[in-house]
Amino acid sequence: MKIKDGYLLREVAGSNIVVPIGEGAIDFSGVITLNEVGAFIWKSLEEDITEAELVDRILAEYDIDKETAQNDVKEYISSLRGAGLIAD
Amino acid sequence: MHKLRVADINLLIDYKYDTMIKQAAFYKADFDKPDVTIDIPSENYDLWSKESPHLSMNDIEYIYTGAAFYEALLHFNGFMLHSSGVVKDGYAYLFSADPGTGKSTHTELWQKHFGKDKAVIINDDKPAIRLTDNRLWVYGTPWSGKTDKNVNIKVPLGAIVFLERSENNWIREIKPAEAIPLVMQQTIRPVEKDVMIMLLDMLDRVLSSTKLYKLGCNISEEAVEVSYNGIKVEE
Repeated sequence: MKIKDGYLLREVAGSNIVVPIGEGAIDFSGVITLNEVGAFIWKSLEEDITEAELVDRILAEYDIDKETAQNDVKEYISSLRGAGLIAD
Repeated sequence: MHKLRVADINLLIDYKYDTMIKQAAFYKADFDKPDVTIDIPSENYDLWSKESPHLSMNDIEYIYTGAAFYEALLHFNGFMLHSSGVVKDGYAYLFSADPGTGKSTHTELWQKHFGKDKAVIINDDKPAIRLTDNRLWVYGTPWSGKTDKNVNIKVPLGAIVFLERSENNWIREIKPAEAIPLVMQQTIRPVEKDVMIMLLDMLDRVLSSTKLYKLGCNISEEAVEVSYNGIKVEE
Protein backbone atom coordinates (compact mmCIF):
# COMPACT_ATOMS: atom_id res chain seq x y z
CA MET A 1 0.00 0.00 0.00
CA LYS A 2 1.03 3.59 -0.47
CA ILE A 3 -0.19 7.17 -0.25
CA LYS A 4 -2.10 8.26 -3.35
CA ASP A 5 -0.33 10.57 -5.76
CA GLY A 6 -1.17 14.23 -5.68
CA TYR A 7 -0.14 15.24 -2.15
CA LEU A 8 2.84 17.15 -0.87
CA LEU A 9 4.23 16.90 2.66
CA ARG A 10 6.32 19.86 3.79
CA GLU A 11 7.43 21.41 7.07
CA VAL A 12 6.07 24.94 7.49
CA ALA A 13 7.04 26.96 10.57
CA GLY A 14 7.45 23.83 12.70
CA SER A 15 4.30 22.04 11.49
CA ASN A 16 4.19 19.05 9.15
CA ILE A 17 1.50 19.87 6.66
CA VAL A 18 0.07 18.02 3.69
CA VAL A 19 -1.55 19.83 0.79
CA PRO A 20 -3.04 18.47 -2.43
CA ILE A 21 -1.31 19.30 -5.69
CA GLY A 22 -2.33 18.73 -9.29
CA GLU A 23 -5.98 17.97 -10.02
CA GLY A 24 -6.78 17.17 -6.36
CA ALA A 25 -5.95 20.76 -5.45
CA ILE A 26 -8.98 21.96 -7.35
CA ASP A 27 -11.47 19.91 -5.26
CA PHE A 28 -9.81 20.10 -1.86
CA SER A 29 -8.68 23.42 -0.44
CA GLY A 30 -7.87 22.23 3.07
CA VAL A 31 -4.63 21.49 4.86
CA ILE A 32 -3.79 18.31 6.79
CA THR A 33 -1.50 18.75 9.78
CA LEU A 34 0.52 15.73 10.94
CA ASN A 35 2.40 15.17 14.19
CA GLU A 36 5.97 13.89 14.11
CA VAL A 37 5.08 10.19 13.97
CA GLY A 38 2.32 10.91 11.47
CA ALA A 39 4.82 12.63 9.20
CA PHE A 40 7.21 9.69 9.56
CA ILE A 41 4.46 7.23 8.60
CA TRP A 42 3.35 9.45 5.71
CA LYS A 43 6.92 9.64 4.34
CA SER A 44 7.29 5.86 4.63
CA LEU A 45 4.04 5.42 2.72
CA GLU A 46 5.23 7.54 -0.18
CA GLU A 47 6.67 4.30 -1.53
CA ASP A 48 4.85 0.97 -1.67
CA ILE A 49 5.26 -0.76 1.69
CA THR A 50 3.50 -3.43 3.77
CA GLU A 51 2.05 -2.85 7.20
CA ALA A 52 4.68 -5.14 8.77
CA GLU A 53 7.51 -3.22 7.08
CA LEU A 54 6.05 0.03 8.36
CA VAL A 55 5.99 -1.33 11.93
CA ASP A 56 9.64 -2.38 11.58
CA ARG A 57 10.63 1.10 10.41
CA ILE A 58 8.88 2.70 13.36
CA LEU A 59 10.59 0.31 15.79
CA ALA A 60 13.95 1.25 14.25
CA GLU A 61 13.21 4.96 14.61
CA TYR A 62 11.31 5.28 17.90
CA ASP A 63 11.77 3.79 21.31
CA ILE A 64 8.42 1.97 21.64
CA ASP A 65 7.39 -1.67 21.97
CA LYS A 66 6.14 -3.72 19.06
CA GLU A 67 2.55 -3.98 20.23
CA THR A 68 2.18 -0.21 20.57
CA ALA A 69 3.74 0.31 17.15
CA GLN A 70 1.39 -2.24 15.58
CA ASN A 71 -1.66 -0.63 17.15
CA ASP A 72 -0.56 2.88 16.17
CA VAL A 73 0.09 1.86 12.58
CA LYS A 74 -3.26 0.05 12.33
CA GLU A 75 -5.12 3.05 13.68
CA TYR A 76 -3.21 5.50 11.52
CA ILE A 77 -3.68 3.52 8.33
CA SER A 78 -7.37 3.08 8.99
CA SER A 79 -7.80 6.84 9.35
CA LEU A 80 -5.82 7.49 6.16
CA ARG A 81 -7.90 4.85 4.41
CA GLY A 82 -11.09 6.46 5.76
CA ALA A 83 -9.96 9.77 4.27
CA GLY A 84 -9.38 8.10 0.91
CA LEU A 85 -5.65 8.80 0.93
CA ILE A 86 -4.35 5.20 0.49
CA ALA A 87 -3.92 3.42 -2.82
CA ASP A 88 -3.58 -0.36 -2.46
CA MET B 1 1.86 46.12 -24.39
CA HIS B 2 2.42 48.23 -21.28
CA LYS B 3 5.44 48.40 -19.01
CA LEU B 4 4.74 48.32 -15.29
CA ARG B 5 6.86 47.80 -12.23
CA VAL B 6 4.84 46.03 -9.53
CA ALA B 7 6.41 44.75 -6.30
CA ASP B 8 9.84 45.46 -7.81
CA ILE B 9 9.06 43.11 -10.71
CA ASN B 10 9.25 44.42 -14.28
CA LEU B 11 6.01 43.49 -16.03
CA LEU B 12 5.32 43.59 -19.73
CA ILE B 13 1.55 43.34 -19.76
CA ASP B 14 -1.31 43.63 -22.18
CA TYR B 15 -4.57 45.35 -21.17
CA LYS B 16 -7.03 47.68 -22.79
CA TYR B 17 -10.06 48.24 -20.53
CA ASP B 18 -10.82 51.10 -18.17
CA THR B 19 -10.20 49.54 -14.77
CA MET B 20 -6.72 48.30 -15.67
CA ILE B 21 -5.83 51.56 -17.40
CA LYS B 22 -6.86 53.51 -14.31
CA GLN B 23 -5.40 51.12 -11.70
CA ALA B 24 -2.08 50.64 -13.52
CA ALA B 25 -1.41 54.34 -14.10
CA PHE B 26 0.72 54.70 -10.95
CA TYR B 27 2.84 51.65 -11.78
CA LYS B 28 4.17 52.73 -15.19
CA ALA B 29 7.89 52.13 -15.56
CA ASP B 30 10.63 51.91 -18.10
CA PHE B 31 13.00 48.99 -18.56
CA ASP B 32 14.71 47.01 -21.30
CA LYS B 33 14.03 43.48 -20.19
CA PRO B 34 10.85 42.34 -18.46
CA ASP B 35 10.97 39.84 -15.58
CA VAL B 36 7.46 38.65 -16.43
CA THR B 37 5.26 38.95 -19.52
CA ILE B 38 1.49 38.77 -19.13
CA ASP B 39 -0.13 38.44 -22.52
CA ILE B 40 -3.35 36.46 -22.23
CA PRO B 41 -4.73 35.11 -25.55
CA SER B 42 -8.15 36.49 -26.50
CA GLU B 43 -9.50 32.91 -26.71
CA ASN B 44 -8.95 32.61 -22.94
CA TYR B 45 -10.86 35.82 -22.32
CA ASP B 46 -13.71 34.57 -24.51
CA LEU B 47 -13.84 31.31 -22.58
CA TRP B 48 -13.88 33.04 -19.17
CA SER B 49 -16.52 35.42 -20.44
CA LYS B 50 -18.73 32.44 -21.40
CA GLU B 51 -18.14 30.86 -17.99
CA SER B 52 -19.04 34.08 -16.17
CA PRO B 53 -21.59 35.89 -18.35
CA HIS B 54 -22.44 38.29 -15.49
CA LEU B 55 -18.94 39.80 -15.71
CA SER B 56 -17.94 42.46 -18.22
CA MET B 57 -14.76 42.10 -20.31
CA ASN B 58 -13.41 44.97 -18.23
CA ASP B 59 -13.89 42.95 -15.01
CA ILE B 60 -12.56 39.75 -16.55
CA GLU B 61 -9.38 41.51 -17.71
CA TYR B 62 -8.88 42.98 -14.22
CA ILE B 63 -9.42 39.61 -12.49
CA TYR B 64 -7.29 37.45 -14.77
CA THR B 65 -4.34 39.82 -15.25
CA GLY B 66 -4.25 39.94 -11.45
CA ALA B 67 -4.38 36.15 -11.16
CA ALA B 68 -1.50 35.90 -13.68
CA PHE B 69 0.57 38.41 -11.75
CA TYR B 70 0.05 36.72 -8.37
CA GLU B 71 0.96 33.35 -9.84
CA ALA B 72 4.16 34.84 -11.27
CA LEU B 73 4.87 36.47 -7.90
CA LEU B 74 5.43 33.01 -6.37
CA HIS B 75 8.56 32.70 -8.52
CA PHE B 76 10.04 35.84 -6.94
CA ASN B 77 10.01 34.94 -3.24
CA GLY B 78 6.56 36.41 -2.95
CA PHE B 79 2.91 35.62 -2.44
CA MET B 80 -0.46 37.35 -2.25
CA LEU B 81 -2.51 37.47 0.92
CA HIS B 82 -6.19 38.23 0.46
CA SER B 83 -6.35 41.08 2.96
CA SER B 84 -6.78 44.80 3.46
CA GLY B 85 -3.39 46.29 4.27
CA VAL B 86 -3.01 49.51 6.25
CA VAL B 87 0.29 51.32 6.81
CA LYS B 88 0.77 53.08 10.15
CA ASP B 89 4.06 54.42 11.56
CA GLY B 90 6.05 52.79 8.76
CA TYR B 91 4.69 49.25 9.10
CA ALA B 92 2.06 47.42 7.07
CA TYR B 93 -0.64 45.53 8.98
CA LEU B 94 -2.61 43.02 6.94
CA PHE B 95 -6.21 42.20 7.92
CA SER B 96 -7.23 38.97 6.27
CA ALA B 97 -10.67 37.36 6.04
CA ASP B 98 -13.21 35.92 3.63
CA PRO B 99 -14.96 38.42 1.35
CA GLY B 100 -17.82 40.20 3.10
CA THR B 101 -16.42 39.80 6.63
CA GLY B 102 -15.45 43.44 6.98
CA LYS B 103 -11.69 43.75 6.49
CA SER B 104 -12.06 46.87 4.32
CA THR B 105 -14.55 48.29 6.80
CA HIS B 106 -12.00 47.78 9.58
CA THR B 107 -9.12 49.51 7.77
CA GLU B 108 -11.53 52.31 6.79
CA LEU B 109 -12.13 52.79 10.52
CA TRP B 110 -8.35 53.09 10.99
CA GLN B 111 -8.38 55.92 8.46
CA LYS B 112 -11.29 57.59 10.22
CA HIS B 113 -9.58 57.25 13.61
CA PHE B 114 -6.02 58.24 12.70
CA GLY B 115 -6.63 60.34 9.56
CA LYS B 116 -6.05 59.32 5.96
CA ASP B 117 -2.51 60.73 5.98
CA LYS B 118 -1.51 58.64 9.04
CA ALA B 119 -3.23 55.38 8.08
CA VAL B 120 -2.67 54.61 4.40
CA ILE B 121 -4.34 51.70 2.62
CA ILE B 122 -1.47 50.09 0.69
CA ASN B 123 -3.83 47.61 -0.98
CA ASP B 124 -7.44 47.02 0.01
CA ASP B 125 -7.73 43.42 -1.14
CA LYS B 126 -4.61 41.72 -2.49
CA PRO B 127 -1.29 43.13 -1.27
CA ALA B 128 1.90 41.41 -2.41
CA ILE B 129 4.42 40.22 0.17
CA ARG B 130 8.03 39.62 -0.83
CA LEU B 131 11.22 38.52 0.82
CA THR B 132 14.07 40.74 -0.40
CA ASP B 133 17.31 41.75 1.32
CA ASN B 134 16.43 39.23 4.02
CA ARG B 135 13.37 41.23 5.02
CA LEU B 136 9.62 40.88 4.42
CA TRP B 137 8.04 43.75 2.50
CA VAL B 138 4.44 44.54 1.67
CA TYR B 139 3.77 46.16 -1.70
CA GLY B 140 0.81 47.92 -3.19
CA THR B 141 -0.33 46.55 -6.57
CA PRO B 142 -2.87 47.68 -9.20
CA TRP B 143 -5.14 44.79 -8.19
CA SER B 144 -7.01 45.93 -5.08
CA GLY B 145 -10.40 44.24 -5.44
CA LYS B 146 -13.58 46.26 -5.54
CA THR B 147 -11.99 49.52 -4.42
CA ASP B 148 -9.24 51.54 -6.06
CA LYS B 149 -7.36 51.84 -2.76
CA ASN B 150 -3.75 50.95 -3.46
CA VAL B 151 -0.48 52.83 -3.32
CA ASN B 152 2.73 52.05 -5.21
CA ILE B 153 5.00 51.80 -2.17
CA LYS B 154 6.86 49.11 -0.23
CA VAL B 155 6.73 48.94 3.55
CA PRO B 156 8.05 46.40 6.10
CA LEU B 157 5.47 43.83 7.20
CA GLY B 158 4.25 44.62 10.73
CA ALA B 159 1.75 41.85 11.47
CA ILE B 160 -0.85 39.57 9.92
CA VAL B 161 -4.27 39.64 11.55
CA PHE B 162 -7.11 37.20 10.82
CA LEU B 163 -10.31 39.13 11.32
CA GLU B 164 -13.74 37.88 12.30
CA ARG B 165 -16.94 39.65 13.30
CA SER B 166 -17.72 39.84 16.98
CA GLU B 167 -20.02 41.79 19.29
CA ASN B 168 -17.10 42.61 21.56
CA ASN B 169 -13.62 43.61 20.45
CA TRP B 170 -10.82 41.24 21.33
CA ILE B 171 -7.39 40.30 20.05
CA ARG B 172 -5.10 37.36 20.73
CA GLU B 173 -1.76 36.28 19.35
CA ILE B 174 -1.79 32.95 17.53
CA LYS B 175 0.91 30.41 16.72
CA PRO B 176 2.01 29.61 13.15
CA ALA B 177 0.26 26.21 13.33
CA GLU B 178 -3.10 27.98 13.77
CA ALA B 179 -2.34 30.44 10.98
CA ILE B 180 -1.32 27.92 8.30
CA PRO B 181 -4.82 26.81 7.25
CA LEU B 182 -6.05 30.42 7.45
CA VAL B 183 -3.31 31.68 5.13
CA MET B 184 -3.83 28.78 2.74
CA GLN B 185 -7.50 29.77 2.45
CA GLN B 186 -6.60 33.36 1.62
CA THR B 187 -4.00 32.96 -1.11
CA ILE B 188 -3.80 31.53 -4.61
CA ARG B 189 -2.95 27.85 -4.30
CA PRO B 190 -0.69 26.71 -7.10
CA VAL B 191 -1.42 23.41 -8.77
CA GLU B 192 2.14 22.50 -9.85
CA LYS B 193 4.31 20.81 -7.26
CA ASP B 194 7.41 22.98 -7.69
CA VAL B 195 5.38 26.18 -7.36
CA MET B 196 3.54 24.82 -4.30
CA ILE B 197 6.97 24.18 -2.75
CA MET B 198 7.87 27.83 -3.43
CA LEU B 199 4.67 28.98 -1.68
CA LEU B 200 5.18 26.69 1.34
CA ASP B 201 8.82 27.71 1.74
CA MET B 202 7.76 31.36 1.60
CA LEU B 203 5.06 30.73 4.22
CA ASP B 204 7.63 28.92 6.36
CA ARG B 205 9.65 32.12 6.43
CA VAL B 206 6.69 34.48 6.84
CA LEU B 207 4.92 32.56 9.60
CA SER B 208 8.12 31.89 11.59
CA SER B 209 9.16 35.53 11.67
CA THR B 210 5.93 37.54 11.73
CA LYS B 211 3.55 38.39 14.57
CA LEU B 212 0.21 36.66 13.93
CA TYR B 213 -3.13 37.52 15.54
CA LYS B 214 -6.82 36.78 15.57
CA LEU B 215 -9.08 39.80 15.93
CA GLY B 216 -12.77 39.78 16.75
CA CYS B 217 -14.26 43.16 16.04
CA ASN B 218 -17.39 45.20 15.60
CA ILE B 219 -17.74 48.44 13.64
CA SER B 220 -16.55 51.10 16.07
CA GLU B 221 -13.56 53.24 16.91
CA GLU B 222 -13.03 51.04 19.95
CA ALA B 223 -12.36 48.20 17.49
CA VAL B 224 -9.48 50.27 16.07
CA GLU B 225 -8.04 50.96 19.53
CA VAL B 226 -8.17 47.28 20.51
CA SER B 227 -6.59 46.16 17.27
CA TYR B 228 -3.95 48.91 17.04
CA ASN B 229 -2.86 48.56 20.69
CA GLY B 230 -2.75 44.79 20.30
CA ILE B 231 -0.63 44.62 17.14
CA LYS B 232 1.50 47.76 16.86
CA VAL B 233 5.22 47.13 16.41
CA GLU B 234 7.15 48.55 19.35
CA GLU B 235 10.41 50.11 18.25
